[in-house]
Amino acid sequence: MLRFIGRRALYAIPLLLVIVVLMFSMLHLIPGDPVQALVGDYPVPPAYRQAIEEKYRLNDPFLVQVGNYLANVVQGDFGFSYQNQRTVLSLILERAPRTILLAAVSFGLAIPLGMLIGIACGTTRHPGVDKFWTTTALIAYAIPTFWLGQLFVMFFALKLGWFPTQGIGPMVSRTQGFAWVLERIRYLALPVMAFGIHEGMRIARIMRASVIDTLSQGYIVTARAKGLGRGQIIRSHVLRNSSLPLVTIAGYAFGHALGGAVLLETVFTWPGLGLLLVDAIRLRDNMTVVGVVIFSAIAVVVMNLVVDLLYAMLDPRIRTMR
Amino acid sequence: MDKVTRSGGGRLLRLGAASLLAGLLAATAAQAQDEKPVPGGTVIAALNSTTIPNLNTQLTSSVPALFAADVWADGLMTYDRLANRIPRLATGWTLSDDGKTYTFTLREGVKWSDGKPFTAADVVFTLEAFGKFNTYLTKLVPLIDKASAPDDKTFVLTLKEPLTATLDLFDKEVFPLMPKHVYEGKDIATHPANIAPVGLGPFKFEKWESGKSITFVRNPNYWEAPKPYLDQVIFALIPNPQQRLNAIVNGEINWFRPEVVQVPATQAAAKKGTFRVVPIITNAPETAVVDLNLRRAPMNNVKVRQALFQAIDRQRIVKDVYQGLAETAKNAIPTQFKMLHDPSVNYDTMYPYDPKKAGELLDEAGFPLKDGKRFSMELTVVSIAPYDAVAQIVQAQWKAIGIDVKLSALDLQIWTNKVYTQHDFDASIISLTGRSNPVLGVDRSFTCNQTSVPFANPTGYCNPEFDKVAAEAASAPAGKQRALYKTYAEIIARDLNQLALTNARVFEAVTNNFKNLDAQFNFAFNTHPNWAEAWLPKDKQ
Repeated sequence: MLRFIGRRALYAIPLLLVIVVLMFSMLHLIPGDPVQALVGDYPVPPAYRQAIEEKYRLNDPFLVQVGNYLANVVQGDFGFSYQNQRTVLSLILERAPRTILLAAVSFGLAIPLGMLIGIACGTTRHPGVDKFWTTTALIAYAIPTFWLGQLFVMFFALKLGWFPTQGIGPMVSRTQGFAWVLERIRYLALPVMAFGIHEGMRIARIMRASVIDTLSQGYIVTARAKGLGRGQIIRSHVLRNSSLPLVTIAGYAFGHALGGAVLLETVFTWPGLGLLLVDAIRLRDNMTVVGVVIFSAIAVVVMNLVVDLLYAMLDPRIRTMR
Repeated sequence: MDKVTRSGGGRLLRLGAASLLAGLLAATAAQAQDEKPVPGGTVIAALNSTTIPNLNTQLTSSVPALFAADVWADGLMTYDRLANRIPRLATGWTLSDDGKTYTFTLREGVKWSDGKPFTAADVVFTLEAFGKFNTYLTKLVPLIDKASAPDDKTFVLTLKEPLTATLDLFDKEVFPLMPKHVYEGKDIATHPANIAPVGLGPFKFEKWESGKSITFVRNPNYWEAPKPYLDQVIFALIPNPQQRLNAIVNGEINWFRPEVVQVPATQAAAKKGTFRVVPIITNAPETAVVDLNLRRAPMNNVKVRQALFQAIDRQRIVKDVYQGLAETAKNAIPTQFKMLHDPSVNYDTMYPYDPKKAGELLDEAGFPLKDGKRFSMELTVVSIAPYDAVAQIVQAQWKAIGIDVKLSALDLQIWTNKVYTQHDFDASIISLTGRSNPVLGVDRSFTCNQTSVPFANPTGYCNPEFDKVAAEAASAPAGKQRALYKTYAEIIARDLNQLALTNARVFEAVTNNFKNLDAQFNFAFNTHPNWAEAWLPKDKQ
């Protein structure tokens, strides 16, 4: 098992190398002036430009910049964000837990919701139920999260006043213990609903297809012939076998979400990695852009690994294949 | 004629608003006397970015940094709402007869937020160390002969030649004072104090939560004790304008500055009574302009430029884009500079909307209609509201007289590169924010600029006659500037390297639970609330 993980980690290294070089090249090609972004909409005094360019070595040749960066990354130094005046690593470490929280709670909602709808549709004997949920899932999945999020803000926050319109938590909090948790949940509710519904519907669609596929398998017929009840067949034969594609899709999507749900974080001013990335691109804070993208890539790689391990757990055939 | 009366009406409206406000203020002032301020409470103000690279406004002109600096920094002088200069850390100032020596008397017993005494040496240090880095002082720094502190309470500045705008350059917004004991001998441009500042303002820096908030707490050493009354000012970092409005409607923040296109919606939401929209009587000039690239044909033909100007219905931009909350720009000198603006140079009468005349001018310039088309050009704009909407109207109106206009709406950085660095444009739309004097932010549109420095005249217009007048106007004694600025405006009105469209008004929204808001909002130009005056009754804390 450890060898398996080690090998996967080694495979990731060339991938990350390519990402760094690619990101640097692309950022190098886009016009932009980070020093101007520091000063705003007035001309940059030459002395200031010189001081900043020297300090952050902005005028080094492209290859020198990439080389230095790679040498630093190996030592765990992801560079310095001049638009935030702190190290990129410390920024990512402060922002990532917020994104992880949003992604984890959203998927915590999406997976059971999606599975429930998927199984219900796949196993129902009433075509009407299947049709209703399939259509609902398709529509809900087709709605972009940022738009759904804005609708939720208009209705649940502005009209009903149940939830805050944006942010990760109150600016001033006087709550403790359970009340504190409830307060956080109020801030999480709308982004999680928008994100969770979207992802949940994706999962529902996969789950439904997978359940229908599993139901047509020979061992289900056998189980039925042996006189097993419907509920028991679903619990002990269908659920586990139809979860394999779900693990792939959900794991992949979750890995992506860890890199920051850019649009969703923008709509809710959720100060995670997505919002950090948007600002970094706007202000040409290249070190931060590359740092967030590397983090995102690592998240995807790690999640793929987790998916592989889960597969092995769910399916004994994969475990014994080697 | 119609336009003249309408714009006159706009001015009347503004006067009306001012007197109405004055009445309201008198009423609330009388009321405020009955109540004694109590300490405590928090104000949550919105900043319009999640990433703020620098809080030190000696080094940046960015808006979120300006908002925050009002809270933690202070300067020698500031302005009241009618743009009268009022003392802050300088209690008085004199100018020598030759117009070259300024002597400032500083307030006694003032301390920095870290408890160290503030002296004239700090002022000299700020000028010497930050002057070369400060975008507003580029005109002043080469003129400085000597800056000195003969004693702790006196700051003397001697210039090689007079610069009448000098006092404007020592306004607290453009010249916040910096502590010598913190910065001396260190790398100033990247000093950590630039994001964790030590200042003279009513609040001091406490903490910064990345992407979320910046907290300032009461500065116990503030010179205007017992102010401030509030315990803390928290800046919520909310980049999206709609979210800032949502947040005040839902009671999550107490203050924000609506974008001009948002003001009607903000006013409508304010009717519920939880917050109010305060008009800023003398706001910093916010002029939407079209820069024309004179390096290229046919923009190098003045008749074409005049035609382009007369083809734009600026009243329609005021009405449709700014929803009436702007006026048409009158000439190169914004109307806010009452002592310098000469109303006899008036674009409304010189270049009224007249597409027929515009067509005739283009015929004369050698661009007659051929197959419904005269020539092609590119109009570039930053894709930010409201400039994108302004650009669409301009595009439509230029098309109407037979010009084939391609509109490029771009990301700010790409637009900056295209217009200022590459000079690869025919016409470009942007709104430029001024400060309190033409030397700050107005001259930069017209004086000769052969470099590719962003946000300085990108048009290639280079007129020694104009540059001379601009220099003379800047150095003429206070009483004699107006005539020179009239000539300044006349030359630009003749040459039109830039078409000035609108001058927008500014509003701020604040929740009604605070007391003493009239004193709190007694400022002009680029100043914003420092929250030293406002207080919260005990039951609302």
